[in-house]
Amino acid sequence: MADTTLANRRHTLGFALGGGALKYFSGWIAAVVVLASALPPIIAQYRSIDISAWYIAANSGKIFTAIVSGIFLYTLLAGMIAQGVTRRELAVSLGWFGLLWSAALGALAIAMFLGEHALYSAFDWSQTLQGDGGETRLDSVGAALEFSARYPLVYLLYFTGGAIIGAAAYRSDWGWLVLVPVVPVVLALDGALMRTEVWGPGWASAVTGAANGLGTWQAVAVVLVAVAAGAWIVRGILLGTQIRAKQA
Amino acid sequence: MSFSVSLRDVTLKYGDTEALSDVGLTLEAGKIYGLLGRNGAGKTSLLSLLAAFRKPSNGEVLVDGRPVWENIDVVSRVALVREGGDFDDSETVLATLETGSLRPDWDGDYALKLAERFELPLRKKVRDLSRGKRSVLGAVCGLAARAELAMFDEVHLGMDAPTRDAFYKELLAEYIDRPHTVILSTHLINEVANYLEEVVIVDKGRILRHEDVEAFQNMGATLTGPADVVDTAAAGLNVLAEQRLGGTKSVTVASALDPQTRERVVEAGVEIGPVGLQDLFIHLTNPDRTGA
Repeated sequence: MADTTLANRRHTLGFALGGGALKYFSGWIAAVVVLASALPPIIAQYRSIDISAWYIAANSGKIFTAIVSGIFLYTLLAGMIAQGVTRRELAVSLGWFGLLWSAALGALAIAMFLGEHALYSAFDWSQTLQGDGGETRLDSVGAALEFSARYPLVYLLYFTGGAIIGAAAYRSDWGWLVLVPVVPVVLALDGALMRTEVWGPGWASAVTGAANGLGTWQAVAVVLVAVAAGAWIVRGILLGTQIRAKQA
Repeated sequence: MSFSVSLRDVTLKYGDTEALSDVGLTLEAGKIYGLLGRNGAGKTSLLSLLAAFRKPSNGEVLVDGRPVWENIDVVSRVALVREGGDFDDSETVLATLETGSLRPDWDGDYALKLAERFELPLRKKVRDLSRGKRSVLGAVCGLAARAELAMFDEVHLGMDAPTRDAFYKELLAEYIDRPHTVILSTHLINEVANYLEEVVIVDKGRILRHEDVEAFQNMGATLTGPADVVDTAAAGLNVLAEQRLGGTKSVTVASALDPQTRERVVEAGVEIGPVGLQDLFIHLTNPDRTGA
């Protein structure tokens, strides 16, 4: 690590965690990119292409991001404290980790949507986002860019949600119950930001669709506030977390 | 600059259970301490407080005279190596050692030197290490941290005898080279007895005794000589252990011998030696109590 003076190591650690995670999962990410790029030309041999393959891949990245942040935090917490890192430092590091991870995956999502748009345009295919009963067609480069530009923020939202769950699950045996408020809130904000269909069964739509009436910039603002609040919650959970006894 | 330790009226609860109860303890800087106690006595809990792994339910934990909780200047120079270490099992040994560079005084060259000496496979994943090698990795991390307060909690588990011996010698060499505070928590009392300057015995969440090793050893004596003479000399004393080989007998007693008694038994041909720390520990922590 480059600069590990006590004043700066929280930042250095955050970038090291982010870079390390991207490197660790680079094979997985590359596999998804290859798969999402290769499938449409193969499928086109048999039928017409009318959905965005990358949309499916990019959306799976949201859950993947939440899992990565939650598992990383849960797994690394004891090790970091054992290395003499304070909980406050870890909270800051996690912030940098989340920003770096979300920016990198978000940039990849944007690049892949634009690349896919170029490919689909060349073959006169339709780059359509297919949700539960709804369809949105990205019929120009601008539309593809406008839609995909939301991914860095939505990944950050999922990262924050995953971190809350990971921190709470470590802190308490019952901490995983924080899933109950976190998941619907994240899904609702995701729906508002991405303008996709409401997630989940009908009975849950009152919660997961609660923010769908927001305009784009209102949704961006609400998600930013939610991410900031989530980061504060993660910090608060970490500050009171005791390292668990080792199991025999 | 090695760190002192002070616990004031410290209680630590796990739910309704008190792991430590109103503990008061002061450890001077720059010594090697042995932390002894039976299973569940509160040793690991005590060490966890000193490394800010846990926060006391009540009381104050000071290291180098400063509160340890969330104190970056202190915790970055405190190392607690727990049994099996706190590692990311998916990392390689080398990457685990490199993580040590988070510490301001981490000595990477020393870590690699120790890794070579203890034959740690640098490219192997931590999860693939044997129990002994995993313990060695923990020990290497603890030593190379160059911490001002280094604590090793049952770090020897799984190590074979030559490795344990090499670890203790390396610990001592590092201590002589760079005086700092060391706390060794172990059940292998006789193995470490020669390295300790002071001993703290924890029992049922309280500090039972805290003395220097010499004081402990003078709490009793080992009488060795002709069996009948030894039996006579030990009559009326609290006998902790007996060994007999032919006509020679060795008896460990838990009572300090007054000068007259000493003179009498020496004249009778009995050798007087210090009491074994382990025998005394067993005696002090109630041998009638059994439990894992």
